[in-house]
Amino acid sequence: MLTLILLALLNGVCIGLCRILNGRLGQASDAYYASLWNHGVGFVFLSLLLVLMPSPPVAGLLDAPLYAWLGGVVGAVFVVLNTQVILRLGTTLCSLLVISGQLLSGVLFDLVVKAVNPLQLLGVVVIFAGVLAFRRMEAKSVERQEFKLEQRETKH
Amino acid sequence: MTKQLIPRQLPQLMPQLMPQEPTQLVPQESTSQAQIDLKPQASTPLNLMLGLLGGVALAVMIALNSELAKYGSPLLASWVAHGVGTLVALLLLGVVRLRQGGLTRCNEAAPWWAYLGGLPGAFTVVLGAMTVNSALGLSASIAFIMAGQILFGLVCDRLGSFGMARRRLSWGQGAALAVMALGALIALLAQEGA
Repeated sequence: MLTLILLALLNGVCIGLCRILNGRLGQASDAYYASLWNHGVGFVFLSLLLVLMPSPPVAGLLDAPLYAWLGGVVGAVFVVLNTQVILRLGTTLCSLLVISGQLLSGVLFDLVVKAVNPLQLLGVVVIFAGVLAFRRMEAKSVERQEFKLEQRETKH
Repeated sequence: MTKQLIPRQLPQLMPQLMPQEPTQLVPQESTSQAQIDLKPQASTPLNLMLGLLGGVALAVMIALNSELAKYGSPLLASWVAHGVGTLVALLLLGVVRLRQGGLTRCNEAAPWWAYLGGLPGAFTVVLGAMTVNSALGLSASIAFIMAGQILFGLVCDRLGSFGMARRRLSWGQGAALAVMALGALIALLAQEGA
């Protein structure tokens, strides 16, 4: 069980690493360029894995509905968005926002399909409270920096 | 290596690349006045909304990929998604570059490892398949995956790893992030329990 937990944690690290590397490439060029490299390199890597590992026939995918093929379209846009956000807000806040967005869409989906659990709504409210609080705290820490700077200027 | 880090033509590129510069840059060691950053705040409503929107996009993408995986395997589905994603990203890049007036553009040189983001990204599919269908289960897997992301993010922000800006969180900011994580945990547990 401990191994499984470590694997899941490692999975999270891989996701974070992927976004940071894309962010670094986006810093040098732009988010669209990063999205292209991310998908291209991933495609080559997964092609290798598919050759090396036993897998079901590719032809089976042809039976899937058309919309199921469009995950990559959303994925390309996602990497563009994420690369821009990570450069502006940092890795931690970016990850938390993406996680919150994921859970938020889960709640929205349930809202349409079935009844929403009140606890889910509580979770959403708490998330948004956290987002608003972060904005406030950032404003405060900037104010404090300004105050320190002023103090130093008056001393000299 | 040091030569690569010197930004070429940065002044022209930066404004369109990053309308808002990251704030909270920690001054390098000394606290001389010139090095204290007083840039406009980064956590604008727009940036926060873009982050959340990214999460919505990710949820949609995962839903679509899971649908495709039913007709093959998670690995096959991710392979297709990366292939389609490459084509779409190429198209997007072409359109954006043309609007900027020319397909070629001088980029600042990026270190070689910055091009490898796709590797850990694709590897998550393998790791995900290993834990989700195991004794650990789906919701616990998701919770630990999220925890891994956040812990890794905290370390990287603190150290400024991989060429990212160093960000030192104030206690208040840390508390606000903890509130967000708590909300995420509640939403996750409630969703799975429903």
